[in-house]
Parts: sequence; structure tokens; C-alpha cells
Amino acid sequence: MRDVAVLGVGMHPFGKFADKSVTDLCRDAVVAALADAGVQWRDIEAVAAASSRFSGGKGWGLNGNDVVEDMGSTGIPVYNMSAGCAAGGNAFNVGYALVAGGIYDTILVVGGEKMPKGFIQTSGVEEETDPEFLRQRCVGMPGPSFWALLCRQRMEEFGTTEEQLAKVAVKAHQVAVHNENARFRKEFTLEQVLGSNMVSDPLRLFEICPVSDGAAAVVICSAEKAKQFSSNPVWVAGSTVATMSFDDGLPRGLAGVVPSGKSFHSEASTAVERALAQAGAGPQDLDLVELQDNTVYYELAFPEDWGMCKPGEAEHLLETGETLPTGKMPINPSGGFLCFGEATTAMGVFQVCELTWQLRGEAGARQVPDAKLGLGQTLGLGGNGTAVVLKR
Amino acid sequence: MTTKRIPVIDGLFSDTADGTRLLGSRCASCNVPYFPKSSLCHNPDCTGSQMEDASFGPHGTVWSYSIQNYPPPPPARYDEPYKPYALGVVDLTDGLRVVGRMAVDDPESLKAGCKVELVSEPLCTEEDGTEVITWMFRPI
Ligand SMILES: [Zn+2]
Repeated sequence: MRDVAVLGVGMHPFGKFADKSVTDLCRDAVVAALADAGVQWRDIEAVAAASSRFSGGKGWGLNGNDVVEDMGSTGIPVYNMSAGCAAGGNAFNVGYALVAGGIYDTILVVGGEKMPKGFIQTSGVEEETDPEFLRQRCVGMPGPSFWALLCRQRMEEFGTTEEQLAKVAVKAHQVAVHNENARFRKEFTLEQVLGSNMVSDPLRLFEICPVSDGAAAVVICSAEKAKQFSSNPVWVAGSTVATMSFDDGLPRGLAGVVPSGKSFHSEASTAVERALAQAGAGPQDLDLVELQDNTVYYELAFPEDWGMCKPGEAEHLLETGETLPTGKMPINPSGGFLCFGEATTAMGVFQVCELTWQLRGEAGARQVPDAKLGLGQTLGLGGNGTAVVLKR
Repeated sequence: MTTKRIPVIDGLFSDTADGTRLLGSRCASCNVPYFPKSSLCHNPDCTGSQMEDASFGPHGTVWSYSIQNYPPPPPARYDEPYKPYALGVVDLTDGLRVVGRMAVDDPESLKAGCKVELVSEPLCTEEDGTEVITWMFRPI
């Protein structure tokens, strides 16, 4: 396997952009990533793109083809990767593998979305053999209620309070104020978060990420190629994709087996464990993490799952400021999904952008001091999980 | 006049003289339960999938619960005006962890660990008055 560098990153800010197409958003991100890398469109040998169910891609998830047609049809191969909300992370992994394996030297990874209004319907099919369809039709249990069930279980197990849940959102907005790409850049008080409507008890509106429009792109290349462009690039220390385990403790359809132990979010844990192993690092070595905070719950649960702190300790670390960029366990210094909103398939690529800026020391007022090793993580429908470890 | 009742999806549950049961299957090789029915055992540690019809319920324990405060998007069904409902994950005594609505008037009364039984209750009503029935869990 060859070493792989992140040569350039670029984003279109997140928000709602009624006058722009998903191609417009992707173009801005791609042009910025190419400029940041110092390469031309002609230098890109292949595209690994996240497939969207909501926008562009000719209705078939051919979102990488849209980008290539827009930038100029050079005849390069396009890989359109589908993995629900993990598609961006999945596309990054495919791009990484193709460069590491020596197939191509320079690849563009891209994800972009224009999301429909409101809470999204999880599954796209209405078939009685589809477990998601059955869960929605027979029980009425959309995405946020899934998170609410996990969160309530944590509250019962560790005594997590509603106030502590709200503090995660307060902290996210406190850092996002400093991020020009974030959609919500206003501080919220604890009272404002606690005063927002209950959406899926125990989770409130400001504790759940909304959907957004946005795009992100990165240029990755071989070590040899990287030397021509940069003396100090950011390196991919690990990149993995995983799927959920049979013994996962939360049924994704109607039912599962009563598990013998505690095993939630298995697709995320497996991806993260393997990425850290690939990087030859332990959870304590991480200087920062960009994790998929669809809801405040995950910011408490995930660091424990991955061994970054002890079970039940996350609330204390939050309340003592240790999850801030200046703390000892910085989580989502970007502001995370809570402040960006989820442009579903762009998220894994967005995380690579933020980690790269942090590791280069270019993150301004949200900078994690002396960041050397960072983790990104996504998970998506179908039990898809991805992780990436970047190092300087 | 009696109200006509139809299941939300055919073949998922049935009302017996002994109460409501979920209709699934169980692998005779590794004892793993499935709901709905499965034609293959999904346990990666099981090498000899032997699926047999099985029914589950009625007794279980609440593992977690939530309240659906806003009207869910399609394909969920509900009557207008929308009324928030409780839902939960229940561990049945026969080894199945299953999701379902909670048949409670006061969701605040729910607790993880509380004992429940399987029932069948209206999910919504068709325009002609037909009640659409699904499985639910009622605290006992
Ligand atoms: Zn079996």
C-alpha cells in the first residue's frame, strides 16, 4: 500500500440556497479544492463521488458524472458510491484505496446535496419486504425516534439529564460562531435550547440536526505526487468502511435478538477501531474528532464506545469544557452536524476538510492547539459506517 | 353495527384466544428468533439455517421508549388531528427485541424495565370507518 496525502480541500458553505443547483454547490467546492491543492482539472485522474437520493445524479445517484460533465468531460473514470448518510465517507475510502493501491495518483472525492424540506423519510421504497418501510408503516418510527430511544436508554443507565443534553448543543454553537462554512453561527443559551420544542422526547428541536444544502470536495494523491506540490501535506493514516454486526443491540427493522451484552452503533465502532488500528494509534492519541452528531446523544455515546473516555464519563467532560477545541478531548470543533445541518452525502467529505484545516493549523478561532492526529466518522442507512484518521 | 378491522400489513400478527402474537420464525439450529419471518438464518455463526414458523409474545420488558411529538413522514399513518404517541423497544421473554407502539394514555408513566404485554390496537381509521390495526405493548 502507498501513502496517501490530502492535497487540497474545499467547501461550499452550508445553508438553504433556493437559487442554486447541487451542481452549482459542487462546482464551488471542487474549484476551491483544486485551487487549494494547486492542481488543474486535467490533473484529476478519477472521481469518487457520494451518490445522492435527493438531488442531481440524474435520479440514479450519478452525482460524480454531474461533476465531470460540469467541470469538463475528460473521459476519466467515475465511481458513484451509495451508503446513505455515510456515502461521503464511503467515497473517500474508495478514492483512498484506489490511490493507496497504485491504480491512480490523483483523485477528486466529492459530495454535495440539496435536501428536501423537513424531516426526511428514511427509506426510499414502499415494499412490504423492506424493514425500514415496515417500521415506519406499522409503528411510525422515523429517524429522530431511533435516536430518542438510544438517548432515553442512556438517561436511564447513566442518569444523563435534559440539561446535559442541551449543553452539548450550547457547546456546538459556541464553536460554530467561528466557522464561516457553518449554517448556524449564533450562540444559544441553555434556556433557549431547553425552550425549543420537544421533537422526539427526550430530544428537542435544537438538539437534532436539520437538513441543509452544501458540498465538500478533496483532492488526494500519492506521496510521490504530493512532494511536487507541498512540503508538508496532511496524510491519511487510516480509512475504513464497515457494516453493522448481527448482534447489534438496536433493531434497524422491526426486531432483532435480545443481545447478550452492550453493542450499539456497531458499524461506527467497527469502522473507528479498524481505522485506528490501521493508523497504529489508540483512542487516547487523538487530538480531535469530527463525529456524526445527528443528535446531541452521539457526542456523549460515541467517545465512550471508542475508548476515548470511560462509560458514563462524557457528561462530566462536556460540563468541564474538555470537549471544546481547547479541552483535552475536543469533539466537533467545526460545530458539527448540529450547526451545519446535514447535507447527507457531503458529510464524510466535509469532515475531511475540517480535519485538514485543523491539522494544518488553519482553523482560526476554533483551532485545536497543536493538532496532529484527527478522526472523522459517519454512519448511514443500511448499517453503513466509515472512519478516517488524518495525521500531520 | 360492528367496526370492520384490518391489519396494517397482513401476516405480521394474529389475535388468539390467548392474546396477540407476533408471527415470525426461529432457526432450529441456533435458536435465533426472527420477526417478520425470514427464509434464511442471518446469524453469521450459524452454519445450518433451519427456519421454522414461530410466534412470539405476549410478555416482555421495556428496554427503552420515546414519544413521537411530531407527525412522522410517510409511509407512517395516523389520524388527523395528530396526537403524539409513545413507542418503545421491548425484550420479549422468548428472546426477541422488537419495536412497537406503547398503548398508554400517559407516556410519562413509562419506565425502562416495566412489564408489558402484546395487544392489537387501532393505528388509524380509513375513510369508510375501517380500523387499521397494529401490534402494541400495554403495561401490566
Ligand atoms: Zn441459525
